[in-house]
Amino acid sequence: MTKRTKTWMIVVGLALALEGWAIYVVGISPERWRPAMVVRDEPAARAVYEAMIQTIRSANTLSYDSVCGDAEGRASFYKVRLAKPGLFRVELLNIPSLKDATLVGDGNDLWLFWSGTRSYLWFDDEAGYEKTKSNRYLKKPVAAGRDSIAEEIARIGIAWYACILDPSTFYGRTSELDPYVDGIRLAGTDKADGEKCDVIEISFLKAQRTQHLWISRQDHLPRRIKEILRVADNKIVVEEWSNIRVNDALPRQTFTWSPPADWKPWSVPQPQDLLIQSGQDAPDFELSTLDGNKVKLSDYRGKVVWLYLWRCGSPQCRQELPHLQKWYEKNRNDDLVVFGVNSTDDKRILQAFLRENPVTFPVVHDCSSFARKAVQDYGDKTATMPMSCIIDRQGKVVDAWLGYEGNHQRAMNALEKAGLRVTTDN
Amino acid sequence: MRAYELIKETFFRGSYIWIVHVAWLTIYGVYWWLFLPEQPEYGKFVFTWGGFLLPLALSAGILGDDIASGRICVLVTKPFWWGEIYIYRLLGLSLQGAVNLILAAVLAIALHTLTRRGSVEGIGPWLLATWLLFNATAALSTSLSVIVRRTYNSLLLLVVIASGYFIVSMLMGYMGPQAPKGVFVSFVKYFWPPFELLFKFANGDYGKFSLTVGKYSVPKDIACVVHSLTLTVVYSVAGIVLLTRRQFSRERD
Repeated sequence: MTKRTKTWMIVVGLALALEGWAIYVVGISPERWRPAMVVRDEPAARAVYEAMIQTIRSANTLSYDSVCGDAEGRASFYKVRLAKPGLFRVELLNIPSLKDATLVGDGNDLWLFWSGTRSYLWFDDEAGYEKTKSNRYLKKPVAAGRDSIAEEIARIGIAWYACILDPSTFYGRTSELDPYVDGIRLAGTDKADGEKCDVIEISFLKAQRTQHLWISRQDHLPRRIKEILRVADNKIVVEEWSNIRVNDALPRQTFTWSPPADWKPWSVPQPQDLLIQSGQDAPDFELSTLDGNKVKLSDYRGKVVWLYLWRCGSPQCRQELPHLQKWYEKNRNDDLVVFGVNSTDDKRILQAFLRENPVTFPVVHDCSSFARKAVQDYGDKTATMPMSCIIDRQGKVVDAWLGYEGNHQRAMNALEKAGLRVTTDN
Repeated sequence: MRAYELIKETFFRGSYIWIVHVAWLTIYGVYWWLFLPEQPEYGKFVFTWGGFLLPLALSAGILGDDIASGRICVLVTKPFWWGEIYIYRLLGLSLQGAVNLILAAVLAIALHTLTRRGSVEGIGPWLLATWLLFNATAALSTSLSVIVRRTYNSLLLLVVIASGYFIVSMLMGYMGPQAPKGVFVSFVKYFWPPFELLFKFANGDYGKFSLTVGKYSVPKDIACVVHSLTLTVVYSVAGIVLLTRRQFSRERD
């Protein structure tokens, strides 16, 4: 090989390495989780945050436009109008689908309606959608301060992205993530929407979720909120506020709506209603465990299986997991198998969580499309966690439910129905 | 001296080159005058016109005209490596792009100073992104000019790229987040001129959608520049290989 050929080979090799690095850096999600991402509390930063919350809550009316979007160009535009007591109007438009929706709170009820045909939602099937896609509205009682506008939008799935800062904060509502704040720190100053802002960083759940807030030094209201959700593939959503008005007089008719004569009421099913039913065959799956082994459900015929779907970022899962572990240790026997199935989290976050909350039952960690399909096969279309499913010795579903009920009574009943004698964790 | 002559030839290879430059600068000026754009509107406009359409207009028939007229035989009989013709022609295009963009910036600054409206803040990254896109598109068009007759290289590239992006945007628009991010989308993203990546770089999207607080995410922005330069080199190498392997005839094509 001549010297010239060698030189060219080195040049081409270096160029390929550089291009490989470039593609990797451009293509990857934002940085993976590291323990250093857990933020320590700084009193000055907390004061900035609390001033923002106080400003929002002390206003009599608040109106703003916001856009929540991702790097792929999907965005939801919101026109938010809030007044006390319990009045709101949130108009929403999704880009690029251009489907809109309006939520009106008249102090007693929440009304949800569309100007044209509504978007295809997570619970829809073709026939149902065709029947209900237009001239329908949803009405339900709502309590200001307790019910969340952002959660309602997310639950029904009418927006690409629900507002990061819940408009219900205005009525004094606190987030269920508040007890899981690791700390708040100042991250510098920056300009947003033409305003000089303090930027603060808040980490939740040991940095499983991080928020950056750009808070105006002038009016203490946010101009930008960036949320980083660290799951198997990190998600970043940015919400930007503009046209902010505080204590402006808002006409009463903004907060009233009545359905046209030919419109019909409509309701959204609860995620629980779509879960797999008792007596159905439990869909088989083969998934990977955290230690790299494979688990196939059908290999456990002849044993009673408790399938427990969970994720680190769910407060309910965090509450339930230690109780489940305690219960499992008490009732461990050869006839019972518990699988903790996690198809959501980043492996490092999961490992760090399990170091602090060790469990002795096998943990399945598989974020592949097969795993997600397996979860959907059990009817958990919204990936609401935790979800439990008890499967009997013949591979039939005995019971399936969402959420943590506190005393595992439903699980006890299902396990007894499956022919297993167990004790409660109390 | 040879390099200078070949680059100069690119600048003066037709009177329409000057018409293109003047037309583009007029378009920038008219756009500013009519819309008084804030950044990044002006940046986006220059990015599309200067980064994509300008190289197509300037590189139309850049080698194809010589091949078609038989003049290429005169060029390749000279005692130098044929690849040099390609390299200096591309370099000539790149310099024209840089000059055009500098003039576009001067025009914007002058109009901003005169009218006291609009904004030129943050114009630098847009001009850099535009120039990088210009180089990648010019390299692709020049390579195509080796195998496509006369000025059809630019036309073909315009049709192919516009159709590709139309298909991708239709897919994304219809299917939203469910759209398959398969081979086709990855191909468009990483092997075609890097529109999306450079747009995000100049628009500050990498800073906005990363863990940083400011407008830019330095590693991603550097990666974008590296990727677009690599693409320019890859397109050029393909063109040089094609050029050096061709047999040319003195006959008119």
